[in-house]
Amino acid sequence: MSNTLGPTPVEQDVRNTYRWLDDRLPILSLLKDSLVTYPTPRNLNYAWNFGSLAGIALMIQIITGLFLAMHYKADIYLAFDSVQHIIRNVEWGWLVRNLHMVGASFFFIVVYIHMGRGLYYGSYKSPREVLWGLGVVIFLLMMATAFMGYVLPWGQMSYWGATVITNLLSVIPFVGQDVVIWIWGGYSVGDPTLTRFYAIHFVLPFVIMGVVMLHLWALHVHKSNNPVGIDLKQAADYIPFHPYYTVKDMFGLGLYLIPFAFMVFYYPNALGHTDNYIPANPLVTPAHIVPEWYFLPYYAILRAVPIKELGVLAMFGSILILFVLPWLDRSPIRSARFRPLYRQLYWLFLANFMVLAWVGGKPAEGMYILIAQVATFCYFAFFLSLPLIAKLEKPKPLPETI
Amino acid sequence: MRLLLLLLMALGLTPMAHAAGGNIAIPQKAWPFQGIRAAWDKDELYRGYTVATQVCLACHSFKYVSHRDLMRVGFTEAEVKKLADALQKGVDDKLLSGMDEATAKDTFGKLPPDLSVMNIARAGLADYTYALLHGYSDNSATIAKYLPGGLPEGAYFNKYYPGHAIAMANPLSGPDLVTYHDGTAATVDQMAHDVTVFMEWTAQPERIERQRLGVYVLIYLLIFTGLLYLSKRAIWRNVKGH
Repeated sequence: MSNTLGPTPVEQDVRNTYRWLDDRLPILSLLKDSLVTYPTPRNLNYAWNFGSLAGIALMIQIITGLFLAMHYKADIYLAFDSVQHIIRNVEWGWLVRNLHMVGASFFFIVVYIHMGRGLYYGSYKSPREVLWGLGVVIFLLMMATAFMGYVLPWGQMSYWGATVITNLLSVIPFVGQDVVIWIWGGYSVGDPTLTRFYAIHFVLPFVIMGVVMLHLWALHVHKSNNPVGIDLKQAADYIPFHPYYTVKDMFGLGLYLIPFAFMVFYYPNALGHTDNYIPANPLVTPAHIVPEWYFLPYYAILRAVPIKELGVLAMFGSILILFVLPWLDRSPIRSARFRPLYRQLYWLFLANFMVLAWVGGKPAEGMYILIAQVATFCYFAFFLSLPLIAKLEKPKPLPETI
Repeated sequence: MRLLLLLLMALGLTPMAHAAGGNIAIPQKAWPFQGIRAAWDKDELYRGYTVATQVCLACHSFKYVSHRDLMRVGFTEAEVKKLADALQKGVDDKLLSGMDEATAKDTFGKLPPDLSVMNIARAGLADYTYALLHGYSDNSATIAKYLPGGLPEGAYFNKYYPGHAIAMANPLSGPDLVTYHDGTAATVDQMAHDVTVFMEWTAQPERIERQRLGVYVLIYLLIFTGLLYLSKRAIWRNVKGH
């Protein structure tokens, strides 16, 4: 008993399976600490459901994607046909494909709400800057994955979307054209592009999973933020994750699956574009090339700027600015509940984001350009005005406790 | 509530994204394959098949569909064998056009599009197919109204085709182009309706199965979610502030 380094007799006995294993690899206590006893603020509202929901959405994509990969052919002469083969001939193929296709859109809805919650309740503020930054990394990886996934069916929008987006890299000074050709694996989007996009589309979700682990690790250091946004000091402010948040998250999952199933079974194609049922044709450009709906706000920013180079910078900048958000917002108060000015701006920002999404789906002509330009200005103005707002704002008094 | 609103708004974005195009509004029709009580009607599909094979197939293909596929909607093996024989095709042969690709390219300048998934490949979906088949006109006043610059050489006027000048001549130029197996009068409208239903089947053969299964899935999820709500309430009963 005096030897504190070695296992105690109880853990030497393999019949005490849990303790025996945990003494050698503490994986069970890790799971217990993070999913069972993990202390969670008792005042979280339903906006906090979207974190675990995003994890489930990711798993749905990985599992359905794995089964699609068993039947899909990444070859420009076979890709379109192989998708039809999945729908028509593979047992439950249509269901797996619809789950994956609608699942991508719903994953973005969940993540957008998850981010919107963080923005409203100041979850990005000290000490959670790294947690937030890892989230932005996940978001960027998701966008790359989704973009390449949309190329795989090799329809008209796949092909032309890939052409437009990869061409953006040509703005890189000096080596831009070479970079684009390098990415294409040829002088236009073609078979080498499709094959490598498939490979990357397959591997990135596992990279996302890795970053999700880091995201959770960072979360578990300082625990969840909460709607009041104050640091919780009393043990009574926390409740164990299980059963309280397991059951609440399961209920949230049920609520999520209802509209999800509705789309999968009744409107599987409504979130996509009809042109993607036309096989890719390099000789025929679609009348309007539009990305998937979840990219529309950024597409609007890209097209709002008349100079291509600046447009690309603005588009990437609109996401990269999220990395520095914790340092732009100097207010020590997290929750928008106690920040009257920020709270109003937050809703304006969200409305403006919707405007960007709407205008991103319109042709870049006439009034639409002007609307996109104003909305792009407002998008950046929101972030850049945050230091000033922190100074001007008279926050409401914070409560001592929840 | 606010989140629900956000979700709905996010969903609502999508139709806007695809409204771009700016063509004539396509009339909407109630189709037998819509709604949870929808079903494939064998006779209707047979009539549509008749139009498809005797009219469309002259130039177009349905390369994802074979005669054997018809057995999934109630045709017997003997029936599909007979139909395939009449077209000098095997039961498992795809419904390829009688015109080979080289001839088609020579004749039309490009390959007429495959029709298998046409009903989901155009804005307006099945309604577009049906409208297009009704959209032809020789009336010079109508043509001048939509095409003030006149009809391009070799094109045909079609009200619903984007740009109104289509390369395809009116395939249903008059009644009685086909004789139906069940004695139904082959009016232009009847043929357009039947072939649209057939094309919906070729585009989404899983559609009816999907719509039926969806009912059970949704009922299950509603009960499942209801029980989870009650569980949540029971478990949270003693938490302060809830």
